[in-house]
Amino acid sequence: VKNCVRMLRAERNWTQADLAEKLGVSRQTVNAIETGRFDPSLPLAFKLSKLFALPVETIFTE
Amino acid sequence: MSLCNRNLTPLQRRSMNRMVSVLMLTLVTNLSTPNPANPLLDLFPGLSRLIAHNGHTPALLVGLLSAISLLPVLLAVWVAGSYLRAEPDEFIRALVVRALLWGFAVTMAGDAIAGVFMNFYLRPLPLSIMNADLFFASTGIAFGLVQRSYR
Repeated sequence: VKNCVRMLRAERNWTQADLAEKLGVSRQTVNAIETGRFDPSLPLAFKLSKLFALPVETIFTE
Repeated sequence: MSLCNRNLTPLQRRSMNRMVSVLMLTLVTNLSTPNPANPLLDLFPGLSRLIAHNGHTPALLVGLLSAISLLPVLLAVWVAGSYLRAEPDEFIRALVVRALLWGFAVTMAGDAIAGVFMNFYLRPLPLSIMNADLFFASTGIAFGLVQRSYR
């Protein structure tokens, strides 16, 4: 699953640590998601969706 | 999360402290097998005076000692389980589960190899009483390696 989390985060001038804090996860988790090496669970995907105010399918694509 | 990281969450720090306590208990219970394969007795021969020797140990005490050696294993599983249940970060959870699986794999592989040697040479090997030690060491190393693979 590909995602555009890095781009969305950059648009908001957030660091990985900022995003991690907002999501309640570690910076490593954000890094692993951004690099596509870890696919988040549905609850975390929905958190990202809510945070970026975008549908899940816009953030994550096959 | 890393073993020497100062940025551990309170949950991680508490679990780490508990795991270190269990590890200490493991080292203590290593002494509960007073036979020549006990590596602690090989390293510190003076310790053998403090514990009973084979042939002079009542069966009840042997049973008790074997039950004590089970404690660190059960406690380690309990600490790992309670940590995983409480850890909110799913990625860290996944890393810990992978490290634990590697720890089990290495321990079982070590046991299998030690079993063959023990059957072949008909004598105990230190590994047979160091399962918990091997598990802790291999899990710790595996955690570092698994974590590094995501960098």
